[in-house]
Amino acid sequence: MDSKIQQLLDQYWKCETSLEEEKELRAYFNENEVSEDLKETALLFKYFESQKNIETSSVVFENKIKVNTISSKRGKVRNMFFATAKIAAGVLVLVAATYLVRQEIRKSYPEEIVDTYSDPQLAFEETKKALMMISKTFGKAKQEAGKITIFNEAEQIIQKGTTKDDKEKTEKIKI
Amino acid sequence: MDLEAFENRILPAKNKLFRFALKLLNNSEEAEDVVQEVLIKVWNGRASMNQVQNWEAWCMRLTKNLAFDRIRAQKRKSTDLMEIGFEVKQDEPSPHDKAEITESMQQVNRLIASLPEKQRQVIHLRDVEGYSYNEIVEIMEIDMNQVKVSLFRARSAVREKLIKINAYGL
Repeated sequence: MDSKIQQLLDQYWKCETSLEEEKELRAYFNENEVSEDLKETALLFKYFESQKNIETSSVVFENKIKVNTISSKRGKVRNMFFATAKIAAGVLVLVAATYLVRQEIRKSYPEEIVDTYSDPQLAFEETKKALMMISKTFGKAKQEAGKITIFNEAEQIIQKGTTKDDKEKTEKIKI
Repeated sequence: MDLEAFENRILPAKNKLFRFALKLLNNSEEAEDVVQEVLIKVWNGRASMNQVQNWEAWCMRLTKNLAFDRIRAQKRKSTDLMEIGFEVKQDEPSPHDKAEITESMQQVNRLIASLPEKQRQVIHLRDVEGYSYNEIVEIMEIDMNQVKVSLFRARSAVREKLIKINAYGL
């Protein structure tokens, strides 16, 4: 073994070698026969080299990856379609809901109200009639409400009566 | 990143990812599962990963994290099993190791396997895969100092044990 390798090996144990130098050591110990005292060291470097040859065994494995990656590529297009479909479905539901709600609101108003008179004179007469009816009803209601004043009067009379009694009582006590 | 770039830049790293996962998990089936998961994750997230500079180191880191997730899940499972008194699966070399490593190599394999977790990872990344210190920092998510210390300790331990093997044939 030449002195250069011995020197590199010493540096190697001290972790002072570069990647290139370590490569050189691996190559040396894998290609050359070494003396008895370095047999184990050579074995170590042979072990490192042999570890490097371990590979994923199966072709099946690679195919599986390709199928998986490619299928996920196809899936991207499909995903885009689904995403668009989702948005479209959402918009559709919203439009349908608005339409139905509007219809319901229209239904709840009787149609007669919507249709009014086309002749302005006739419309004026009808309006007057309606207002007269309201005013008549108000008048009637006022009469009826007038009856309530009876209660007020009665209350006043009672209050007067009681205050008179109280005065008489207090006067009697004073006497 | 398109399919071509994926096939040219990411797929060739699959054996490195596999070896790293195998080192961590000691089970080739699980390691293949992890690698597949990594590749699919990279493929699916390729649009948002344009800022990644070193893809390979990035994939290695993802491999490490996914492998650790699995180890944690296994630990939970195995403690559950222990509680109800089942035999817990022994850590034995995978068929890969058995087939490819000769008897004397197995001695070295055991030696490396006996190192603490971090040292085992560092020595694998450096001496088997040939990553630079900076890349190892990125992959293992620890600082430069820790990487250097771990590698130094790993190599010292290996050296010591090799000397013992040489002297006593242990």
